[in-house]
Amino acid sequence: MTQPLIYPFTAIVGQEKMKLGLVLNAINPRLGGVLIRGEKGTAKSTAVRALAALLPEIEVVEDCPYSCDPHDYSSMCSTCRQRVDSGEVLPRATRRMRVVDLPVSVTEDRVVGTLNLEEAIKKGEKRFEPGLLATANRGILYVDEVNLLDDHIVDILLDSAAMGVNTVEREGISFTHPANFILVGTMNPEEGELRPQLLDRFGLMVQVEGMADPVMRMEVVKRRLSFDDDPDGFYAQWEEEEHRVADQILKARSLVPHVPISESLMYAIARIAIELGVDGHRADIVMVKAAKTLAALQGKDEATIEDVRTVAELVLPHRLRRRPFEDASFDFSRLDELLRVNV
Amino acid sequence: MAWDFVFPFSAIVGQEKVKLALLLNAVNPRLSGVLLKGQKGTAKSSIARSLSRLLPPINVVDGCRFNCDPSAKDLCPECEERLASEGALPAVLRPANFVDFPVSATEDRVVGSLDLQAAIKQGRRYFEPGILAKAHRGVLYIDEVNLLDDHLVDIILDAAASGENVVEREGVSFRHAAQFVLIGSMNPEEGDLRPQLVDRFGLCVNVENLSDPDWRVEVMRRREAFDSDPMSFCRDWETAEAAIRERILNARRLLPRVNMPAPLRRLATDLCLQANVAGLRGDILLQSTARTIAAWAGRAEVQADDVYLAAEFVLVHRAGMTPPPPPPAEAEAPQDEPDKPYSDDPKAQSEQWSNRRTLPPTSQNHVQDDGQKRQEPVGDPDSSPQTETPSETPASSPINAKDGRQSTFEVGTPFPVQRIYARKDRVYRKGSGRRSRTRTSNKQGRYVRATMERKNHDLALDATIRAAAPYQKAREKKGLAISIQESDLREKVREKRVGNLLVFVVDASGSMGAERRMVETKGAILSLLLDAYQKRDRVGLVAFRGKEAKVLLPPTNSVELAQKLLKDLPTGGRTPLAAGLIKGYDVISQYLKKDCDITPILILISDGNANVSCGEGPPLQEVMKIAQRLGEDSRVNYLVIDVEKKGLLSFGLSREIAARLGALYFSLEDLRAENLVASVQLGRSVFHDISAYGGMNN
Repeated sequence: MTQPLIYPFTAIVGQEKMKLGLVLNAINPRLGGVLIRGEKGTAKSTAVRALAALLPEIEVVEDCPYSCDPHDYSSMCSTCRQRVDSGEVLPRATRRMRVVDLPVSVTEDRVVGTLNLEEAIKKGEKRFEPGLLATANRGILYVDEVNLLDDHIVDILLDSAAMGVNTVEREGISFTHPANFILVGTMNPEEGELRPQLLDRFGLMVQVEGMADPVMRMEVVKRRLSFDDDPDGFYAQWEEEEHRVADQILKARSLVPHVPISESLMYAIARIAIELGVDGHRADIVMVKAAKTLAALQGKDEATIEDVRTVAELVLPHRLRRRPFEDASFDFSRLDELLRVNV
Repeated sequence: MAWDFVFPFSAIVGQEKVKLALLLNAVNPRLSGVLLKGQKGTAKSSIARSLSRLLPPINVVDGCRFNCDPSAKDLCPECEERLASEGALPAVLRPANFVDFPVSATEDRVVGSLDLQAAIKQGRRYFEPGILAKAHRGVLYIDEVNLLDDHLVDIILDAAASGENVVEREGVSFRHAAQFVLIGSMNPEEGDLRPQLVDRFGLCVNVENLSDPDWRVEVMRRREAFDSDPMSFCRDWETAEAAIRERILNARRLLPRVNMPAPLRRLATDLCLQANVAGLRGDILLQSTARTIAAWAGRAEVQADDVYLAAEFVLVHRAGMTPPPPPPAEAEAPQDEPDKPYSDDPKAQSEQWSNRRTLPPTSQNHVQDDGQKRQEPVGDPDSSPQTETPSETPASSPINAKDGRQSTFEVGTPFPVQRIYARKDRVYRKGSGRRSRTRTSNKQGRYVRATMERKNHDLALDATIRAAAPYQKAREKKGLAISIQESDLREKVREKRVGNLLVFVVDASGSMGAERRMVETKGAILSLLLDAYQKRDRVGLVAFRGKEAKVLLPPTNSVELAQKLLKDLPTGGRTPLAAGLIKGYDVISQYLKKDCDITPILILISDGNANVSCGEGPPLQEVMKIAQRLGEDSRVNYLVIDVEKKGLLSFGLSREIAARLGALYFSLEDLRAENLVASVQLGRSVFHDISAYGGMNN
């Protein structure tokens, strides 16, 4: 089922928060993606690719550029809807979830899509040539070094990520299509920050650290080398674990909508956001979703205070306003106190 | 996941004023739109988009691509033709369009263009309607309107002002009506809006965080419900939505009969006069808004409350806009009300028509670090006209009580500054305050329109085909659908904001606290920030003290954010000057990687008294060495502002650093625009043309 050439997700050593952030998004794509901050060489892109490989394959309309789900009319692009309406049986295929890379040098027309050159010249017809946002529908859009991307491209990305729709009004083309994807961005803060407005649009943020523990470092190297020597053999060792986590994600997906979160926890979340002076309501909304998703991942039947505490670390730090020279790290004792007082 | 469900208007929690402003426009399109201003994540766009489901139906000519009103005089050319040949126009009733303007839109789609398919296949010149046609008699919604390209803004303004869209391009000549309600949303922290554009929006409201936990919980609950099952959520709210639609229709019917008594009309005029509103647009809008509010309330007569409420919507963004357009100096008086960049209204008035927070009458300008009180305001009495009210100086606040030696000084009164600009190997457009200009060197930037000029092989395919299309019948095609000749080729015009990047490297060490130097320094930085604001420059902020230098603000358009940070900047500790220089330089070189067309200026503000080094060796020597090295990078311009008090014990260290950097050197006093001659150039001559900045000079 899985192509064993990709390093298994479960074999990644450490980086628990990053893995958690990715898994939560895989369970609940409504979380709004994850921003991974950290140095180079901390397994960021390995983890993203590994996650896509771990997840079960998806069923798609075979010839649809937007990878529409043949079972869900409401999520289909307008073309697929028309085909269904006209009584056509859509051709199906199953394949792995896509990871679409967005290089730093990407141009706007490649992101949103553009006029199809060949059709225009050969047939004189105006056709939309789908861009990366189309390819990323129902997949993962991976932006390495998102802080180095041109500002206007980041604007476009976050806009469609937030709405799940890409609206094109350019180069003679007027078109709208679904663009639901998990946005994963990475950045090395040493190379410049992201505007606060953009930070806020990422549902979760994780900080990855270089590994200081020599034992773990050695383990990383050992696993990597043994994967390189014999990928199939290495995968076989991890196969069971991969299936276990994949199952867990699948189960959690069906659970999320039914995991309740208590009134008092929601109030605690609201008070935390107010007291910490977080702008807007995204923090509240994402915290509720993330706590429910985490509870679902653990197979619990209700989100607990521990879930809120855990996800707060992923939801709050990038949304706080800092005064100059205030310590950049987030004071979690304050959070604990707020949680204790409010629940 | 369904992708075309919209969160219902009626399900939005709180934000009553925002909702009302939008509804008033649905009732009365003549109010010409709403501008929603607010921080990130306050549901601005959700509310705006939810209006799309409430617009009352309009009568349109069946099949008309321009949303013509069958009873209107300004029919589109196609309807004219039809009317002439068929004698009557078939009408249908359907909801008005809500057009979401994407950030990536190009000019051809905004105004409309030649339909290339029809041109090639049928050899006909057929006009293809653009966004402006789609929005006719409906709503045009622009999210992040402050980030919209200047050129597109001009087009939209033009259409909004004249009510029609005139197209003369690609061999098509076309004209159609384009009357729409313009709704924009923006986060002021991301940059400001041009005054002309601000004025286009009839009403303006601030969208704020809900501060009541009950409401916030309700927000979470509804959002969860919507996300998990949008279809049934929308169904559940349909009754409420229908009731609003009904109410809009009723208000619309009532509106022509709403009477506004003479005393209230007088009141409206007085409010406008007090608020110093330019022109009569405000007066007209105020009365229409008041009448619409009454109609919405189901009353046939306007009450005084309606007028006050209307004034809040209409005057907030117009107050203080005196004719001619706002003097730049006024545009950013150091107020603590960032969402009102143009307001300069006396407090008494603003309280009268708005219950918004105002500053306390006197600011407590003292610092409580070592018991020393520092209360005198800083600005020279002769400084400038825009500093009338002392209360405009934001109060200082001591932060971080743990550290006794650290204090936060208030921001001194700003003043007009010397004109500072760099002219090195690149062309700097003199006097062009707006930074936008086209890029020709590479293929970066937004494609906004096409040109016949050919410079850099950046083919605009759509425009090229449109250019070739009309000639297809006559040309030989060799089996292809279209034959393109040299003369058809069009290139993309890309726009990218270009201008200066000012990176302030601010000394926040303890020595700056002596004799209120920091107050003046902050005043000076604020002055430079205001100047940057008018020139649409990007700014960044680096501060150094104690052991390290920190990037407080990565390069941004938001002068406002810089201002806030400046206010909160604490002073205390030692002086790691070298670290500051390096950090500032790093910020610039990183930014240059992203955008090599910008002109970076590093502005060092310090007394030069370095006493912490970042490597080995004496701090001062290190600074000089580093300054020398940084000075060798010809891409970066430097400016040193010396804040050392001249006296017996002045060392002239900043001057020395300036010489090494090849920097332009000012003392704090020299920076004032009225001190014309005092500027000095040191070292390599990179700066030219220092003259008083006319616009701000009194």
